[in-house]
Amino acid sequence: MTQTRAIALNALSLYALAGLLAAAFAAQLLLGELPCPLCLLQRVLFATLAVGPILNIRFGPRPSHYAMSLLAAVAGAVVSSRQVLLHIMPGDEGYGSALLGYHYYSWALIGFIAAIVLLAAILLFDRQFEDDGTTQPVAGGVFAYVAVWLVIGLTALNVVSAFLECGPRACADNPIVYELLKHGS
Amino acid sequence: MEFTILFLAIAIVMLVAWRGPRPLAMGLFGVVLVACVATYLHHATDVLKLSF
Repeated sequence: MTQTRAIALNALSLYALAGLLAAAFAAQLLLGELPCPLCLLQRVLFATLAVGPILNIRFGPRPSHYAMSLLAAVAGAVVSSRQVLLHIMPGDEGYGSALLGYHYYSWALIGFIAAIVLLAAILLFDRQFEDDGTTQPVAGGVFAYVAVWLVIGLTALNVVSAFLECGPRACADNPIVYELLKHGS
Repeated sequence: MEFTILFLAIAIVMLVAWRGPRPLAMGLFGVVLVACVATYLHHATDVLKLSF
């Protein structure tokens, strides 16, 4: 795999992460269900996954950038595993609504494990780490440029959403109203 | 509040990764990841009713 193709794949992974963050937002707004603290932490870790691909697009693919994403994916898998285990007992209906049969934290666990497998797979291709002179200073063109700003924009929207939900205090374990909107009404 | 700060911090890390120096982006990434682990340990207090 050439450096240029690896960068295109990194841009594609940013679109996938943007899709995940957008889907979580859509579920929050359309179903009117507020994310719990562990759900918010999973979103943070999906956003954290994006830093490695952004560095790969800007500076060219490096193993250290993939390692950063691997660490974030492992942390995300630990957090989502814990939430799955919290609701694994028979009779437990889980937290929030199920989407296509699975709750958000189950999808998150699948997503983080898929990320770990895909990151390990892309690390198998050594040729991407040989500089072909086409990636400096920023590579990927409009396709990558839009992907980066899309994921940054969705993360910024999450800043606003989390502040509306939690306000200036610690987030509630089972949030049912937006704290700031409650005080404003 | 902690999640607002975490989202804000990771948005800043992304901006630094896209526009700023690489070592700074990697250092800030490490700080945010440690903060995520600390937040997880703070919230993961419920007992798991499981037997292994």
